[in-house]
Amino acid sequence: MRESFARFAVLAGTLLVFAAVWWVIAAAVNNPREIVGPVQTGTAFVRLFTDPPLTRLLASGLQVTITSILLGFALAVVVGVPVGVLMGRYLVVDLFCDPWVNIWYSIPAIAFVPLAMNWTGVSATSSVIIAFLITVFTVIINVYSGVRNVSGSLVDCGMAYGATQTQVMTKIILPATLPNIMVGLRLGISRAIEGVIIAEMVFTVVGLGGVMDDAADNLQLALSGALIIVLAIVSLAFAEVVKHMTTRAVAWKESQAMVRE
Amino acid sequence: MKSSAGTPFSVKLGIFAASLGLFIVVWEVAALSAGNSLIIVGPVPVLQALISLLQNHLPGGTLGIQGADDAILQTLATILFGFILACAVGIPVGLVMGRWKKAEMLIDPWLSAAYSIPIVILIPMLYFAIGADFFAEVFVTFLITVSTIIVNTHHGVKYVSNALAEVGKSYGASERQFMAKIILPASMPDIISGMRIGMGRAILAAVLAEVLLSGNGLGGMMMTFQDVLDTPYMMAVVLLIALMGIAVLQLPKLLERRLFRWREMESLSRGIGR
Repeated sequence: MRESFARFAVLAGTLLVFAAVWWVIAAAVNNPREIVGPVQTGTAFVRLFTDPPLTRLLASGLQVTITSILLGFALAVVVGVPVGVLMGRYLVVDLFCDPWVNIWYSIPAIAFVPLAMNWTGVSATSSVIIAFLITVFTVIINVYSGVRNVSGSLVDCGMAYGATQTQVMTKIILPATLPNIMVGLRLGISRAIEGVIIAEMVFTVVGLGGVMDDAADNLQLALSGALIIVLAIVSLAFAEVVKHMTTRAVAWKESQAMVRE
Repeated sequence: MKSSAGTPFSVKLGIFAASLGLFIVVWEVAALSAGNSLIIVGPVPVLQALISLLQNHLPGGTLGIQGADDAILQTLATILFGFILACAVGIPVGLVMGRWKKAEMLIDPWLSAAYSIPIVILIPMLYFAIGADFFAEVFVTFLITVSTIIVNTHHGVKYVSNALAEVGKSYGASERQFMAKIILPASMPDIISGMRIGMGRAILAAVLAEVLLSGNGLGGMMMTFQDVLDTPYMMAVVLLIALMGIAVLQLPKLLERRLFRWREMESLSRGIGR
């Protein structure tokens, strides 16, 4: 109780310090074309929800951005988990895919942007493709290393009791890999968010990232700052939801894990 | 579980060659079936464009951009300066956070904010505050990389085995010896994993900063070719960025191998990435 109160106090203090430092810098620079202070940004943030044209802009941008993140992430999970499991289970698949997965994993997200632009133009579809490409290899790598680390004795035990291949897969390997799959999802969602935002910033006409970049280009820095706050809240919300889901899904496993300080 | 460690190298090489062949065939088929050089071109034109880029020939219609050698140097310099700066700041901050609980409590909210919000959204705003020159790009690279370095260093120090720490204390190690001889070596695997992941972040940050800020370097070159719809050259630069990324990522791995020759690679920490 005391601990959580202290934590809350530090958090509130941090926010205050942040706002104060921001305010002092903005006041010292005193040029709204270089940096806008917290007050103007806060006003712009309120206007986003009270000014009807801005609210419409926010709603449509938000809808596109959230849909792109969800679609890219879902596709990456649907493709990444089976590929990771197959790579971990079958040596041939492993040898065949492993170099490619590592190569594609090390390509920075921004390099996919012009390629996707060629394929599907400056559109939300391109954001989805980029989010998918940047997320899927993270998911594959985590699922793969989870399957590889499934204890051999678990599988041997299943085999000895005459489990079929399907049963080994669904009753032994998948449950034992679940914690790694969840880590993959947690890392994956933040990559999907980043991929979509990067794509939208370069496209400048798609989604909330586009609205934000466009506002900055038109020197509406307060609006741009307010949209950054919205995007930050959206990313935090996504990360929290996935974290919550994944923690619930592996609660049984963590209850068996060693107790840490 | 089957392991890939026991497979002979020749078999691995053969299978990799087969998968490389398959990749090239799929690429060529995709290019042929698209039949439109504005969408995708096959491997041959891209390789030709890559070779002519490396010989510093630029196609017509792209006057006023850097040659490929300058672009590569600039991007590399941005990555390395930003990365080194991030290490120089991030490792000490992580050490302090892991060692003293008060510091941890003060810094942690900043860190988790920097870690769970995609910092890249700040780039368009930063343009107005810091401009679009080389230093601005190094700063962006630093900003995006440093939290990864801090988080991994912090994690490494925090979970240094208490047995090690107790031995040091009971033999009367001074604070300085304690840090230099016990904490730092014991948390080195995590620091290096942080550097490995951070290097990936630095590559992304540097190229993204070039695309969004200055339009120089490989990132700027890539978008210039995209703007003039020169697909072979655009894809050649993408390939170049990918190759450079893979090459630069080997640096932390080399360091890891040098420092931990005595240790089984697999037992090293995988690190905390995003």
